[in-house]
This record gives sequence, structure tokens and C-alpha cells, in this order.
Amino acid sequence: MEDGIKETIKKYILDEFLPGEDPNNLTDDTPLISGGILDSIATLKLVMFMEERFGITLAAHEADKEHLDTLTDIVRLVSEKKS
Amino acid sequence: MMNKTTQTIGKSPTATDVGIVSIQGLLIISAQLALLLLLFRQFQIESAAFLRLAILAFGGFVIHALLPLRLRLPFFTTLSLAGIGIVLGFVNGAWLVGIGLVLIGICHIPTSFKIRATLLLLAGGILMLQRARLIPFPWSEAIWPILGSMFMFRLIVYFYDLRHDKTSGTFWQSLSYFFMLPNACFPLYPVIDYKVFRRNYYDDDAYRIYQVGVDWMVRGVVHLILYRLVYYHFTLAPFEIMTPAALSQYLVSNFLLYLRVSGLFHLIIGMLYLFGFRMPETHNRYLLASSFTDFWRRINIYWKDFMQKVFYYPAIFKLRGLSTTKALVIATLYVFVMTWFLHAYQWFWLRGTMLFVLQDILFWTILGLLVVVNSLYEIRFGRKRSLVKPVQTWRNVAALSLKSYATFWFICVLWSFWTAESLTDWRSIWSALGGKYSWEVLIFPLIVLAVIVLGNIPRDSVRNIKASKSDPKAWGRERLATVAILVGLIGVSIEWMHTSLGPEVATFVHSLRSGRLSRLDTAKLERGYYESLLSVDRFNSQLWEVYSQKPANWLDVENANLKRFTGRFAQMELVPSFMSVSKWGTISINRWGMRDQDYSEAPASNTYRAVVLGASSVMGWGVGDGETFEALLEVRMNQEYRGKPFDRYELLNAGVPGYQPPQQLEAVDKALKFKPNAIMFVATGREINRSLSYIAEVVRKGIKIPYEPLAEVVHKAGITSDTDEATALKKLQPFGREVLTFVYGYVADQSRRIGAVPVWVFLPQAREGVWQEEVPETIAIARSAGFQIIDLQDLFKGHDISSLRLAAWDDHPTQKGHRLIADRLFDAIQANRSSIVDAAKDMQPVRLQ
Repeated sequence: MEDGIKETIKKYILDEFLPGEDPNNLTDDTPLISGGILDSIATLKLVMFMEERFGITLAAHEADKEHLDTLTDIVRLVSEKKS
Repeated sequence: MMNKTTQTIGKSPTATDVGIVSIQGLLIISAQLALLLLLFRQFQIESAAFLRLAILAFGGFVIHALLPLRLRLPFFTTLSLAGIGIVLGFVNGAWLVGIGLVLIGICHIPTSFKIRATLLLLAGGILMLQRARLIPFPWSEAIWPILGSMFMFRLIVYFYDLRHDKTSGTFWQSLSYFFMLPNACFPLYPVIDYKVFRRNYYDDDAYRIYQVGVDWMVRGVVHLILYRLVYYHFTLAPFEIMTPAALSQYLVSNFLLYLRVSGLFHLIIGMLYLFGFRMPETHNRYLLASSFTDFWRRINIYWKDFMQKVFYYPAIFKLRGLSTTKALVIATLYVFVMTWFLHAYQWFWLRGTMLFVLQDILFWTILGLLVVVNSLYEIRFGRKRSLVKPVQTWRNVAALSLKSYATFWFICVLWSFWTAESLTDWRSIWSALGGKYSWEVLIFPLIVLAVIVLGNIPRDSVRNIKASKSDPKAWGRERLATVAILVGLIGVSIEWMHTSLGPEVATFVHSLRSGRLSRLDTAKLERGYYESLLSVDRFNSQLWEVYSQKPANWLDVENANLKRFTGRFAQMELVPSFMSVSKWGTISINRWGMRDQDYSEAPASNTYRAVVLGASSVMGWGVGDGETFEALLEVRMNQEYRGKPFDRYELLNAGVPGYQPPQQLEAVDKALKFKPNAIMFVATGREINRSLSYIAEVVRKGIKIPYEPLAEVVHKAGITSDTDEATALKKLQPFGREVLTFVYGYVADQSRRIGAVPVWVFLPQAREGVWQEEVPETIAIARSAGFQIIDLQDLFKGHDISSLRLAAWDDHPTQKGHRLIADRLFDAIQANRSSIVDAAKDMQPVRLQ
């Protein structure tokens, strides 16, 4: 299940924020917020996508580096929410 | 514990070697810290208290690095508390820590969030009432700015994280977060996030963390030296902006004063690195911002993150029912409204007064709207992002540089608006565009362009990247750069080194090495005494810091009802028969409106009488009755000269706080009825400029000028009551000498008319500064007017100034200062006794043409 979540999120990030980027460059631990890929606007877009796609609800305090900085963090958050 | 065998410099830590550094690494860092201390000392970085704190921190670092990891946070907390004690003293420090512990304790009371929040608001409310001096408090005023900077924002973040974070911090984490070491010296402090503070603790190789800390402190010092370069050598007052070249200099230098904030924040965060707190960057090359959103993201990043976490996301998540665009617009504007409000809130804790200035509101509104527009653009068209270093062509660099260049100038204009003392002041600077164009107009635009293009050329950087991610070559280059800057700056600061390069270079280096107020801020500080002008640049000024130390109840002439309006040219006079007990002693005004004994109108026979004209230093601001230099000099003259040749000596104190030279025209007329043998005019510097400021003021207020030569100057300058202050000053500048020549000539003529000796005394300010600029010209004008000259310019040389002036924000002489002035004046009179005292015996009124 986690692989499916990861692929979905990865595809969204690549399509939405990194068009034309080599998918191999986006690894599980690529820093997204601290690396400047996800700014506040991009973070919000991602949150809305996650809520809609996975039927979960995120809180404002979860839109931070601790929860959304890498694909691994994001997958962990979605999995927790879904379970 | 230190592992001497396995740990290699610069590698990511494993679970077992967290926080461990090799002996070699420790020695390398310690050597750089020793150089850094020397650099702090050589360049007088910040205050003497900061140097003490740095010695404590750097010494503590070595012990800290050798301790087992579990003991490091308790040790850091102990060191931080010791730092508070060193800077504030034991009693004040204990109060500060006590109040802080109560606030932290409230956050942890085992009750509901709402009750704790209510209790915190209650405690905060009581403290606010105390800060506003509506409720008495037993501790010193000195702790407020530091207490404020420790708790005003961090408590919000802390409480927010307590509510939302699943892993609450430990006791030592809480204490170290609030009382963290460098804070005791810095009222302006970055808003550090509690979660990041805990999460990033030793999350990388220890040696590398320490080394980045050194790098950032060095970078901070470089920012501070560049700031001094701008602050001392390039800043201009609005009335000095006559040409487009001056306008561009003003715009750029005004914005670059922010280097002080970025420099201090680098110093602060760099010091935290030495104790394992691997915090994010506080600023990211903000001069290169290529859009308003980019600027907001690069400048004061901690503030942006704080606003995002506590206000932006909660607002936007609440507005999820609306469209994305609407939610984003509302949340962004909300953030900027809160930014404005919290700046006023910050000002309150640091200064004790509220700050509601129109420019503040407009500045944050405009910046907020620009960021909204920029964000909407980004939503619609996206922003270019890349995971790998993009291939940069000269075309890309040129396009990016053009964007940065345009953003830079727009921000400069907006910044000038924000920091202007008034809207009319800001409007007046643009008249310079109609001034004379010369090649100099290109200087600042070209320098800025060069900096931006060079900054935008891509290069390998290891900025805030973990050890495991960094390129060893780039890392090595940065080490080399740090050491080269350290050694280079120390080398330049050595006296024989810069003096051997010639007097001009030596003077220039000397200026960068000293921490003092610029000529403009010194002038503002002087004006502050007289005009209660406290609208100093809000958050990037050294003068602001000086004022932030000033107690709210510092003796205020206006509030003490010491003066009253007259409706005449001089506007104000002391209230006759007024008496008040101030912090400094009793202030008694006699029936003639003089702070002096109750003399008869006409002197008794064989009495030598002199009227002393001047401003607050003469009146005796900050000392009690009988402690002014005028009173002390009178006692001395009676002791030493009784019967030689007069039986009695009387000095009448006609000093009025805030009086500028033209106001003495009225004062001298009033003095004549006391039939003095001498009129002593006490000048304190910037006589020409202060005269012009006063003329501009009376014209603006529509006050009639009864002196024909002055009215003629106003006519020639073409100013009216509708002319704003900066423009009026610009137009009056060519007539400065003419105005002062009339003032001095009038005072001297009136003296001679009644047979009194005109004596002109130059009394310097306690600190070096702007008062020195006009001294030679002023003395020449006084001499031409026919005054006897007593020049005390060197009065304070060789003395400990701190014991001679009231405070850092108030250069008026203390009791000791007045004694020194009285002694020096007596010596000068003694040296010129025949012309100042003895001649009065035979002097007759002169009929003047």
C-alpha cells in the first residue's frame, strides 16, 4: 500500500512542481521543503491533493518539515492518517 | 565523550557517535574561535557585554564538546543563565529568570489548554501593565527588553507546539529554548522555532555543525562591518538630498542598514551552532531576491516561518471552504496585518510605548498586496524548480539579474518610505530628481548591478547542507574563505598595518573598527532631547537600541510642566515659580523664569552680574538645584574673587531646555533688564543647522518672525508654512552662515548696548560626533561678532565619559560633569579675568548704529 501512495505522491510532485525533471532525481529522502521545492503555496496544493486523493484530513500544524519534507515523511503521514 | 580514534572530520554521525568530535577537530574549531574573539575585540563588535558573553560561550564550548551528550543541555542551560547574570547582574538576572519560569510553568499546569491559555494571557496582561508603568514592579527597567525578546514570540511558538506536537520537549530543552545563551545581549532576536530547535539538535556531524557556526559568525561580522561602512559613510538625511546621485545613495544606503539585523542574526545563530543546535539559515542572500515573494522568503526567514506556522496555515486551513485563490489572498493579507501588529507589539515590549505609525501600516499593506499579486502569478504560471543544479547560461544570469535588479530598487523605494520620519519627508526626497545630473548618478546603480550579477553567477555552495550531502571541494573552499576572512580582517585591524597605508586609510579603518552612532543618528539623538523626536527608524537602527534602553519615565520636560507657551518668536519659556522634585533632585524656577536663586531685578551696588544664556545643559537637565555649573561657578567666583574688584558675584541662569540659537534673541532682550556686566552665550554645537531647523519650524507653524534679517532670509529661501520640513531645510541651507551671523551679532550688540561684556562659551557634547562639524565656522562667526571666546572643545578629553554623562541615550552632564565644566570655566575666566571681569568695572553702555 505504501508503494502505491509513494508513487502517487511522487507523480503528483513531478507533474505539478517539477515538470521535465528526471524521476530518478526525486528520491525518498530528497528534501522538499528545506530544499525549496515545496514553498507555502506548493505545500498547500500538495495538502489539498493528498486530502482529495486519499480521503484524509490534515491539520494546519502538519503542513511542516516534520511531516512533509521527504517522500518518506509524506507516505508515513498518509499511512498513519489512513489507518 | 570524545572518541579519539574512529571519528573522522566532516562525516555524518551514526547513532553511536552523535555529538562526538575528534581532538583534531576540537583544536581546529577552538583556534578559529580564538581568532574570532580577537576579531570581536578589534572591531568592537556590539558591546563590551557581548565580548564577555562571547568569552563565556567560547570557553563553555570546549567544556560542552567534551561532556557526555546527556549532560550537554543542562550545561548549556547553566551557561545561558550565567550569561544572563553577567549581562544583567545577579539580582536583575534572578528576576528575569524567575518571571520566565512562572511563564513556562503556566504552560505546563496539568489542566486544559483553554485554562492555561487564559492564565498566560492574564500573566502577560499584568506584565504589559507593568511594562507600561501602570503597575509598579520591583525589578530594574533594564530587564524588560531582554525579557520581552525571550518570551514575546517564543512563548507563542512554544505553546503552539505544546498543543500540537506529539513529542513534548524535556525540562532542559524548555529552559535552554527560552534562556538561550546569546539572548542576554540582544533585544532583537530571531524567532526560533521550538520544534526545529529540538529536532535539529546534533542531527549532523558535530565537527561540521561547529564549523558552520564559526562560518556564520564570521559572516555576521562581515555583515556588521559592511553595515558600518554604509552607516558611517553613506547615509544621508532627507534635507541633504539635492541631486539624483544623492537620491540613489540615500535609497541604497537606507536599505543596506538592514545588514545590521542580518549580521546580528548570523552571530546569534552561529553561536547556537557551537552547542549543537543546527538551525536553518536566518537570511538567504536577500539582496538577490528576484520577486516580492522571493524577497519575503529570503529576508528574515525565521519570521516568515513563524508567521506561516502560527497564522498563515491555520488561517488557510480554516478557509478551506473557499476557493484556493480566495483563501490564499485572505490568509496572506492576514499574515501582513499580523506582521504589522506584532512589530508594534515587539516595540511595546522593547520600548514600553506603542508604535502606531502610518508608514508602518502602509508599508506592510503595500508589501502584503505585492506578495499576494506575486503569489497569484505563481499559482497561475508556476515557479521554476529543479532538483539538480540547472545549466546556467549568461542569458539566464542576465535575465535573473534584471529581475533581481528591478526588485532591489523597488524594495529600496519601499524601504525608504517605511523608514522615513514622515510622509512629507519621504515626498521631499523625490524633488532631487529635478536636480543636477552628473556621472556620479551612475555610481550606486552600477555598484548594485555588479553585486547582483556576481551574486547570481552560479557557484557550488554548501549552505546549510548536511555533511553527507556536501561536496568536499566546496566544503574545503568555504573553510579556506572563513580563515582567510578572519586573518585578513584581524590583519587590517592592527594599528601599524593600517596606519602604514596612509592617514586616509587609517582613518577609514578606524571608523569601521569603532561601534558608535553615525553623524545622523547623533544629530537625531540630540534632537530627541529637545523635540521629543522618537520616530527613529523602527527596527534596524543603533539609535533605536539606544532608545530601547531609555526608561519610559526618563525626565521629560514637556510632561513635567516645566515650560509654557508664550505665543512669541521663542515659543516657550520656563514657568516662573515652578518647583518639582525629579529623579535628579529639586528643580526650582524663580519668579523671573530662571532656574536660579530669587535675585532682585537690579543688582546691588558693587555686584558683578552675568546672565548665562543656553539650553538644557545650562539649565541643568539631570542635576538638582545648586548643582549646575552656573551655580558652582558662582560659588567659586564668590570664594576666589570677593572684593577683587566686586563685593559679590551673581550668575543668572537663563538656560531653557530645547532653546536653539535664534530663541536666544528673545532671551538676550529679557536679560537686559537685569543689568548684567556680562552676557555669557553657551553654544553646544551644530549652531548653524540648529538655527536653520528653528527657522523652518517657526515658518511651518506660521509664527511671526520679528527680526527683519531673518524674515528676509525666509523670503529669499522661498519657504512658506506649506513647505515641508525637509524641503525647507534644503532651501535654507545656503543661508546658514547668514542666519547665525545675525543671531550672534544681535546678542553681542545688545550686550554692548548696555555696557555688558559679550562672552561666547563653547561647551562640547560628551561623545564625539556631529557637533564637531561646524565648530571652526561657528567660532569664527562668534569672534567676528565681537564675543570674548572661551573654547572648551577639549573638555571631556581624557575623562571617563560614562561618569560625566547621564546615560547612553542622554549626553547631558552629570553632577561630576557640571563640576568639571565649572572648574574649566573658572580657569578660562581666570585666564581672561581682566577682559571679562575687571573690565566690567569701567565698562559703559555703547550707542550702536
